[in-house]
Amino acid sequence: MKTKQYESQEAALISVENFSFAYESIDDPLLIDLNFTLHHDEVTLLMGASGSGKSTVSLCLNGLYPEAVEGESNGCITFSGKDITKFPSGMLNQHIGIVFQDPETQFCMIHVEDELAFTLENLQTPPAQMAGMITEALKLVGMESYKHSKLHELSGGEKQKIALASVLLSEPELLILDEATVNLDPASTREFVQLVKAIQEKQQISVLIIDHQADEWLQFTDRLLLLGKEGRLMADEHPDRLFTAKKALLKKEGVFLPKKYDNSPLFTRSMQPIPPAAKNILTVEGINFNRKNKSILNGVDLEIRGGEFISIVGRNGSGKSTLLEIMAGILEPAGGQVLMHGKPLQLWQESELRQKMGFVFQNPEHQFITDTVYDEIVFGMKLNDYPEEVIQRSSSFLLEQFQLSEHKFQNPFSLSGGQKRRLSVATALDDTPDILLFDEPTFGQDAYTTHRLMEMILDLKERGIAIVFVTHDMELASLSDRILVLHDGMIAFSDQPKNLWMQGDLLKKARLRLPYHRENPASREEVHL
Amino acid sequence: MMTAVNPTFKFIAILVPGVLLSFVYDVFTPLAYLTFLIVVTFTLSDISFKKWIRLFAPFALFALGFGWTAALYTNEAFSGGTVLFEFWVMKLTVGGLQTGLSITFRSLCFFAMSLLFIFTTDTTKFMMSLIHQCKVPPKIAYGIIAGYRFLPVFQHELQILRKAHQIRGMRRLKGIKGKLTQFQRYSIPLLANGIRKAERVAIAMESKGFTGNRERTYYHRMTVIKRDWLFLAMMVGVLFIVALLSYQLGYLKIFSKKM
Repeated sequence: MKTKQYESQEAALISVENFSFAYESIDDPLLIDLNFTLHHDEVTLLMGASGSGKSTVSLCLNGLYPEAVEGESNGCITFSGKDITKFPSGMLNQHIGIVFQDPETQFCMIHVEDELAFTLENLQTPPAQMAGMITEALKLVGMESYKHSKLHELSGGEKQKIALASVLLSEPELLILDEATVNLDPASTREFVQLVKAIQEKQQISVLIIDHQADEWLQFTDRLLLLGKEGRLMADEHPDRLFTAKKALLKKEGVFLPKKYDNSPLFTRSMQPIPPAAKNILTVEGINFNRKNKSILNGVDLEIRGGEFISIVGRNGSGKSTLLEIMAGILEPAGGQVLMHGKPLQLWQESELRQKMGFVFQNPEHQFITDTVYDEIVFGMKLNDYPEEVIQRSSSFLLEQFQLSEHKFQNPFSLSGGQKRRLSVATALDDTPDILLFDEPTFGQDAYTTHRLMEMILDLKERGIAIVFVTHDMELASLSDRILVLHDGMIAFSDQPKNLWMQGDLLKKARLRLPYHRENPASREEVHL
Repeated sequence: MMTAVNPTFKFIAILVPGVLLSFVYDVFTPLAYLTFLIVVTFTLSDISFKKWIRLFAPFALFALGFGWTAALYTNEAFSGGTVLFEFWVMKLTVGGLQTGLSITFRSLCFFAMSLLFIFTTDTTKFMMSLIHQCKVPPKIAYGIIAGYRFLPVFQHELQILRKAHQIRGMRRLKGIKGKLTQFQRYSIPLLANGIRKAERVAIAMESKGFTGNRERTYYHRMTVIKRDWLFLAMMVGVLFIVALLSYQLGYLKIFSKKM
């Protein structure tokens, strides 16, 4: 880690003074009285619970907010000593580049080359120079052979590299990465971080990183800003000091402690072994699946027992979600069959099957079908004509357990990210399922929500419910009874997590990595998992 | 070479004959022009025949059915002449048959021209040419390209929603009321997600310095050269030649009036 001293005011690139921001009325602000300075050639990490307004900060810094959302703001932000509201439209954006979280929604053109040209066109670069600059930028991110590719054909990691290249073309003085790696598999995340590090060192630009997981970035972070749940700045310090001296504060704010500083295992409770007598719940036999003449799954066999917790891992596009959807009977395989309690899925009555099987989508919003939280929870029970008192009893139990009681009559879409996630799990539990399938359940969630969710899931496991996860998070996968690695359309590994960590070749091929404490055994004397 | 023609000119070159053709009601003129279009398709562009016929054949069937209906139920002005056959309430006359065939060939002309345009035109270049040749504001043209990228995204979202509803047992809603509720359930999240995504794209575009005004440079400068005028002249010219020929042979018919 670098150590720098910033004494003089001249080094200030951006300073934020008494800045508040509100989406509606300034009397109820999201960001309150922020004061901080970003310097030249400095890497700053901005952390905070989900919903604390981290992305809003980045959009305020480059002047897009409050105009874009008709919000209100107070206080002052200056860029190189000049008030940002005084910049003519479009000018400030040339100095500040942002790479966003969602690879799907940050492009406006069809081909890679045109997307990069779009930045240059906005800068009014003479057309004769464009081709050369585009090639240079692609070389910088290692994507020169993709110049003529179509953007929608690239993988998530490749898209993020193109997004980075297109932002770097304007030679920004400040680069903002707004959760730019959350959609990527572990190896792509690492590649992206290394790329940013190399570019930062070469061009000495300032970088502001927003992320729930600090681990990968810490190797070159100079400073850490902590945004509290109330929208105030809670800390502005060197990461080393913050992560050692202020652990309690970070925990309270729902921030993941980097594993480097966190000696406690992810879960202290001991895991229940699966009872030997546990019955087979779901059986997958010889599943094949093709997409556009490309084989995605090629002869997958699998047996899942009651009370078993399984994680399915693999690189982006390896067919993890496809397999999960086939297991749930919402996607038809090209060959093979799925049996639930020994009976093929297609022979089940849809209503009976859904009572015994729950499925939680990656995006919780996809499964909300009613107008209030309460209706959402009782939907399945009403559909199955449960008696009124049963509905009352189980709904208040679920609302209580998932901390949604006070939001009972709110519209599901108006909940925060963590609340939406909890509701989506609650809806899958309205009956008493035998198996629960989760597609990336902790995606984009903060430490607090992830922890709560895992507690609930382990409770369910103890009640004999089989749990299947599709995840990129190796820390979570390491908690499961069994890990399945999908590679080249087949199950390349199916065993206890501890046996996977020794298979370096496979980890590399499937673009996985070790959980932190396996990677750095010295960080914890005793390995708990 | 068709891909190189300026997209705006290409667009006009199919729009003008298209409009003119809709006044012609004889069989010969659209048939002759269709032959010309097919020749152009396979000599001036590198569209593969397989790909072309896969789209054209089903449409041809549809056009035949369309023409057949028109042949049976043409209005008085067109349906004169000998009765070819009569069955129950159906009555086919020579005039009716001619009109039906004319309509079939005309719709095939429209379709062949559309294919010609779609297969040889790059969306980005078409929009750029609209900016340069038709003075469409960049805000609108870039907006259309960004929207075009959304089409597959929407389709994907709809699939996911269907699955999500199946998981919740939504399929069990029956009857018209159930279908209506189902539609409502799909449309709200689909629209909400659509708006959210559109907002994100707009923010991403602005964050790259896009302002929507005309003060910008262009990577693809779409120009108009002699070739583009020639193409336009050829497409319209051939139609006039065909019509003239048809007139000479005594076929040409504008609406119901024989020329």
